[in-house]
Amino acid sequence: MSNDRRQVPVWLWYALLCIFWWGLWGFLSKVAGNSASPLQLQILFTLGMLPVALGMLVQMRWNLDRNVGGASYGTLSGIATGIGSLGYYAALREQNASVVTPVTGLFPLLTVILAFIVLRERLNRVQMGGMVLALASIVVLSM
Amino acid sequence: MIHWLAYACLAVVLWGVCGLFMKLGTNRVSARSMVIWVTVGFVALLPVLWKMTTLKGLGVTVVLIGLTSGLVNGLGNWAVFACLEKGAKASVAIPLTALYPLFTVILATAFLKERPTPMQWFGIALAIAGGAMLSYEPATAPTPTEEPTHCVQ
Repeated sequence: MSNDRRQVPVWLWYALLCIFWWGLWGFLSKVAGNSASPLQLQILFTLGMLPVALGMLVQMRWNLDRNVGGASYGTLSGIATGIGSLGYYAALREQNASVVTPVTGLFPLLTVILAFIVLRERLNRVQMGGMVLALASIVVLSM
Repeated sequence: MIHWLAYACLAVVLWGVCGLFMKLGTNRVSARSMVIWVTVGFVALLPVLWKMTTLKGLGVTVVLIGLTSGLVNGLGNWAVFACLEKGAKASVAIPLTALYPLFTVILATAFLKERPTPMQWFGIALAIAGGAMLSYEPATAPTPTEEPTHCVQ
């Protein structure tokens, strides 16, 4: 029993794996961005992620929820993310990945604000603290 | 020339809007289905992008790195779902995965020889901590599946 307690939970390995993959994405975007334009990068990015999406679809046994509202929000999410990525790649061409990626990682700032306005979700204290740090970081990094 | 921060803010705004759409969408379809629909959105952009540019002139190495960047991002999305399915609480797992820029910083300083100034290091630390804290959403009621409200950056 005591051994089990000391074991790292499986979910934590997956969380660390996620940090690894997404962190690597930021790094590779910077490397490729030295030669490719933001538009070209977004095309390659989309083509590159298709096999994973297909794999997930197979894992779901092709049971895709087809609710019109959900599908529309999902598709709009993809379009917004794709256009946002162009901004990310453009920023990477002019500034270091070590500076740009932490700034763009602040996107939950807007989600939290929009969720407060549109969905009337309440902000918790941790999120409020995060907002202060996020805004401070943007001021510091713009100097 | 537009300041890099303006471009970065464009990403923050649009990815932030995406987070709201994800919240609205996952009220109607499963989170996994949402990832597929988000991918449909990416694909829908492709004809527009193809009209504006071409991949001609890009070296094989750059093409492979670009494709790999999409692949690893997709794998990151998959890992989030696997993480939640293995019993992680979204209130813990999502802020934890929001620390991913830390790994980009490590890779960029190690392999690209990027050397942020002390002031930039301070800003980077604030941004990473702020991003993780903003992603914190305490569980309010037990739900059948906890679903991430942002992924597929």
